[in-house]
Amino acid sequence: MRILTAFAIFGLVCLAGSADDNVARLLAAKHVQNQYLVEGRDLTVTYSIYNVGTSAALNVQLTDEGFPESDFKVKHGMPTVNWARIAPGTNVTHSIVLTPLKSGKFNFTAAELSYVPSEGAQPQIGYTSGPGEGGIMPERDYDRKFSPHILDWAAFAVMTLPSIGIPLMLWYSSNRKYRISSKAKKH
Amino acid sequence: MASWTKMFALFSLVLLFFCSSNAQTCVGPTVEATSFTSAEANLAMETTFLVEFTLSCKNAAKDLVLHADIGDRQFPVSRSADGMRYQISWTAEHKQAPAGSYEVRFFDDEGFAALRKAQRSDQDVNAVSSLFTITVHHRGVSQGPWASSPTVAAVAAFAVWLFAYRAKRQIQD
Repeated sequence: MRILTAFAIFGLVCLAGSADDNVARLLAAKHVQNQYLVEGRDLTVTYSIYNVGTSAALNVQLTDEGFPESDFKVKHGMPTVNWARIAPGTNVTHSIVLTPLKSGKFNFTAAELSYVPSEGAQPQIGYTSGPGEGGIMPERDYDRKFSPHILDWAAFAVMTLPSIGIPLMLWYSSNRKYRISSKAKKH
Repeated sequence: MASWTKMFALFSLVLLFFCSSNAQTCVGPTVEATSFTSAEANLAMETTFLVEFTLSCKNAAKDLVLHADIGDRQFPVSRSADGMRYQISWTAEHKQAPAGSYEVRFFDDEGFAALRKAQRSDQDVNAVSSLFTITVHHRGVSQGPWASSPTVAAVAAFAVWLFAYRAKRQIQD
């Protein structure tokens, strides 16, 4: 019995030892930074890549083809990039800024990630997480909610001008006459 | 087991050193950079900094392996598929990214190894000379107008009412 447990422990330790082989493992997340997705305004997408392995990941290529040119315009950043190596235990962030060209529902799909886990190994292909479906609101709705509406308030002020201005003029003209007559009385 | 992992780490470090000495280095860099920082808090939950640049070297080195240092963090620089453009980006909480200028220093493999060595031995990291530096100007993230327009309108309406009330009191007295 004791020999059996000894063998079991030895086997587990061997397995644990072999799991410590110098291999890189990349975990990647794709995240949309916006609270509101608005047509015609900035949409920031951030990719976070973590190397949880014990060796550097080589020739890491991130390809995101989930933003067709008909629906999005790339404003800043490159959707397809590569890194020569990502050290073990480190993480890398990559961001791109897009401008949505259409409003409506859009499914944000995962981006593809390929890397070489250790020197001379076959390239490994993985995927980032997919943010899922999001609604892109039209610019008019966003403005109605968030813009300062200065023009609307200015128009309101102009519209209230007659109902405030006319009594003001009447009061002011009579006030002037009253002051003039009171001054005349004193003298 | 721990000594094995240490040996592996040492071995890969030595291998890295040899690999990096074979990498190209850039002589006489000329940089053309564009940068982007988040402008509206509604449209970005964290402030994103993004720098894209093209690099031309006097010795026509291409597809270089570069590292960026923003003071408290270091990361590798990503390259485009054709090796002509480079990009780095990082995010920070809005509160930890005030408006101002941010210096990003770029190192090649040798310079980066020197920087890491200086960090480990607590030496002055600014003494390590970088390949080149890019400055990012961040205007700050706007959280919206300082006073919302309905508030301003309400205050103005109250001021008009107060003036009329005072005038009326004056007449009645």
